[in-house]
Amino acid sequence: MTNIDPPAEAAEAAPDTPAGTIGASPASRRSGAGGWRSLVPRWSPKLGIGLSLVGAIALFGILGPVLTGDPDTIRDISMTPPGGEFWLGTTQTGQDVLALLAHSTRGSLQIGLLVGVLATLLSAVFGVIGGYVGGAVDEGFSLFSNVMLVIPGLPLVIVIAGFVPVEQRGWWTIAVVLAITGWAASARVLRAQTLSLRNRDYVAAAKVAGEKPWRIVSVEILPNLLPLMASQFVFAVILAILSEAGLSFLGLGASGSDTLGTMLYYAQNGFALQREAWWWFGPPGLVIALFGCGLSLINFSIDEIINPKLRTVPAAARRTRGRTGGAEREGRSAAARSVPGRGEPGRRESGRDAVLTVENLNVVYRGEKPVHAVKDVSLTLGRGEILGLAGESGCGKTTLAYAINRLHRPPAEVTSGSVVFHDRDGSDLDLLALGREDLRAFRWSKLSMVFQGAMNALNPVISVRAQLEDVLTTHRPEMSARARRERCAEVLRLVGVDPRRLDSFPHELSGGMRQRVMIAMALLLDPQVMIMDEPTTALDVVVQRGILREILRFREELGFAVVFITHDLPLLLELSDRIAVMREGEVVEYATADEIHRAPRHPYTRRLLDSFPSLTGERGAFIRTGESSARERPGSGSGAGTGTKTIVKEAGSR
Amino acid sequence: MRYYARKLGFYLVALWAALTLNFFIPRMMPGNPVDTLMAKLQQRGGATDPSVRRSYELLLGTDTGEPLVVQYLSYLANMFRGDLGVSVSVFPAEVATVIGDALPWTIVLVGLATALSFLLGVGLGALVGWKRGSWLDSLIPATTVLAAVPYFWLALILVAIFATGLSWFPLNGGYDVILTPGWDGEFIASAVYHGILPALTIVISSVGGWLLGMRNMMVSTVSEDYILTAQAKGLRDRRIMTRYAARNAVLPSVAGFAISLGFVVSGSVITEQVFSYPGIGSRLLQAVENNDYALMQGIFLVITVAVLGANLVVDLLYGLIDPRTRAGN
Repeated sequence: MTNIDPPAEAAEAAPDTPAGTIGASPASRRSGAGGWRSLVPRWSPKLGIGLSLVGAIALFGILGPVLTGDPDTIRDISMTPPGGEFWLGTTQTGQDVLALLAHSTRGSLQIGLLVGVLATLLSAVFGVIGGYVGGAVDEGFSLFSNVMLVIPGLPLVIVIAGFVPVEQRGWWTIAVVLAITGWAASARVLRAQTLSLRNRDYVAAAKVAGEKPWRIVSVEILPNLLPLMASQFVFAVILAILSEAGLSFLGLGASGSDTLGTMLYYAQNGFALQREAWWWFGPPGLVIALFGCGLSLINFSIDEIINPKLRTVPAAARRTRGRTGGAEREGRSAAARSVPGRGEPGRRESGRDAVLTVENLNVVYRGEKPVHAVKDVSLTLGRGEILGLAGESGCGKTTLAYAINRLHRPPAEVTSGSVVFHDRDGSDLDLLALGREDLRAFRWSKLSMVFQGAMNALNPVISVRAQLEDVLTTHRPEMSARARRERCAEVLRLVGVDPRRLDSFPHELSGGMRQRVMIAMALLLDPQVMIMDEPTTALDVVVQRGILREILRFREELGFAVVFITHDLPLLLELSDRIAVMREGEVVEYATADEIHRAPRHPYTRRLLDSFPSLTGERGAFIRTGESSARERPGSGSGAGTGTKTIVKEAGSR
Repeated sequence: MRYYARKLGFYLVALWAALTLNFFIPRMMPGNPVDTLMAKLQQRGGATDPSVRRSYELLLGTDTGEPLVVQYLSYLANMFRGDLGVSVSVFPAEVATVIGDALPWTIVLVGLATALSFLLGVGLGALVGWKRGSWLDSLIPATTVLAAVPYFWLALILVAIFATGLSWFPLNGGYDVILTPGWDGEFIASAVYHGILPALTIVISSVGGWLLGMRNMMVSTVSEDYILTAQAKGLRDRRIMTRYAARNAVLPSVAGFAISLGFVVSGSVITEQVFSYPGIGSRLLQAVENNDYALMQGIFLVITVAVLGANLVVDLLYGLIDPRTRAGN
């Protein structure tokens, strides 16, 4: 009858899709004092309009029949247009359309509400219980709801209605039949969500504590399912009203009932449209459409609770602007800023040519409470140098790295400073002032990146070959297909991956192999700078060593410079030429690896060094968690938003 | 391989469930439909010998004294032979023939309209999700109104405007009645001409659902790491939007196709009725009006099988577009 897809359906299908996290997001918080607030929709114009539409129509359905006269009164004023005594005109038999409409709205709302409740109950029983109990019960329930889902509902309802004699078709019968044919989709959604909730820690904790299953379901799981159930309920109501209207319009509705569908049925049979009595035919359809629209708008707000990613519109709006016209504006203002000491001071540090100079860079995360993530950072990367960027999570090192390439995402914004790239051929590029197309062409060909956690950095649905080749087709359009293939095979061989793997998909590769593919990809265009963001963090030590050794070898052979970001300072001591230690957005120490190793000047650097097990076997304090800095400065919040949220208890070292 | 086997298995179970449902519905209903049917048949001068009665009894289930299991098995056997009985409203045609005549109309109309609406909805949804925060966002509330409009109401309004008012399109029917159905240009042109308004109804009222689902997935996908990688790679925006974002975001829309198809089919049954389209939806309602139970059940079965078949095709296609399903489960 209708085609409104529950948007939550997307979330439902998500667990086996790349964006699988969204289904799991709604109630990551435990229901508790603070949890309930997250279950209340945020105010927005959409919600306001939705609530007013639904409220107005519901009020009309409740009060309208009381205020208007008897709709069945027949008068000899057939088909009068709206006006005068009859605001919405009269029908063929002189009935007051407004009175009819009020009674019909009430009828439709009643049936919608009843079906909504019944269908939600059914879907909760099958979805939640199946999902929670698991095993054979779940298999059975889930098969049952999937079968019910693929059997088309309305034809089934028509057949059933066809068999029931008219006199026995009460509105309860219709409601029950509609509920039975309408619960399956939402059961599937609820089951997927229950499955993900069942595996949460607090549910496991409750199980271990020996709580009874019904208690776990009603206290731990149901409250977290509420937004989803609300959204499913809203859809069930829309669907029911539409289906009932369809049935009644076909003359198969409940006998003696007054709904918007029956009203339309009589309007159609009274040739309302042919006789241009739009006031008779139009309003019932409009009421249905507006009510459905109102409910959908309310559902948007519920969906934002279920999937918080849908929420951050203001930030996204800013990004879009930045992507289009704003890029030029941003570029111009950046160009207007003078680039102090371009080239000279940075160029000859540590006896090398500089390839990248960052000066007084500031990055701020805009928001209600702006976070100054990168404060006045100045760094110089020499040609062929490995620059280590160390610091605990949230210290701003990743934000800094992304800002260099202007990859930072909206709430983040570069407020001042300069980033200059000194090309091999002697020209300088002010990266913050580059136009959109120039920036695109610059990326990867001069400066490539290796991201943390290669699993998500590779597109899961296209082959490794396609992901390597599209770099070449974009940046080297003159290359022949054959040359592209050869180049891709060549870089894979370089990182020690069998070129036959080109036809694999990311999920078919091991974590180490994916990271190697990422590095191969970064090598494709022979860049002058490579930014590596925790490239080996997720890997085991042996694989990590192998990859690091290769990075060093490439650097020797291919001569690119590396910005290597990690929290692992001892690793940097081995690897890098110079190291910048960052803390809360600032570079607190910037010196050669040797100096930092022998004589760290800043106390924070010393603590970072101490926090790793030394060769003598003593274990240091666990600073990686960020706890020590929080302890040192009581009340100081997390550094850069994502900051110190991973507070792991000190690993028993004291 | 396992993926395909599972899917095939599921649809066999669903088919069996539909057949069983079809068997039990009339048996659970009050009254004796066989008597009604036989009376109608007699009125139209049909044969009322015991074998015909027996065939209806199997189909509709009445107190024949035979154990339910035996009835059930004979019923299944009849179904597999394609014996759906004789229609009383289009007497003396076999139900299978009546359906065979009507089916192509519906498949072409609903099939094309659904495909069009899917492509349009997914395409627009991808764009709206990608350019989030721009004026395109205002499309969203508009689509919710369209999605909540009853199919038949929209159909009738379209008829009133474009057929009655402007006379751009014919009022109803599937082709110009002066033509004889056949594969000649004139007939096909006439069929297309008659199909535009019904197809427009289906597209307008179903496009919103696809658009919204795709837009929401697109918004989620845009914050994935691989989008960032693609941007760092210096790919062009259009390519990132299509091959990286939309390619991933479309998966749930395809996976959820089953749900939406059910809605579209349901809606088009009523749409056909409004346009007196010679498809299977109008036939179903005629059958209901005439108490032609055999035809009614036959059509229900055929619609179900068609929907199951379409879903199976989409599921197999899903295996092609998401490499992870192929790897097994």
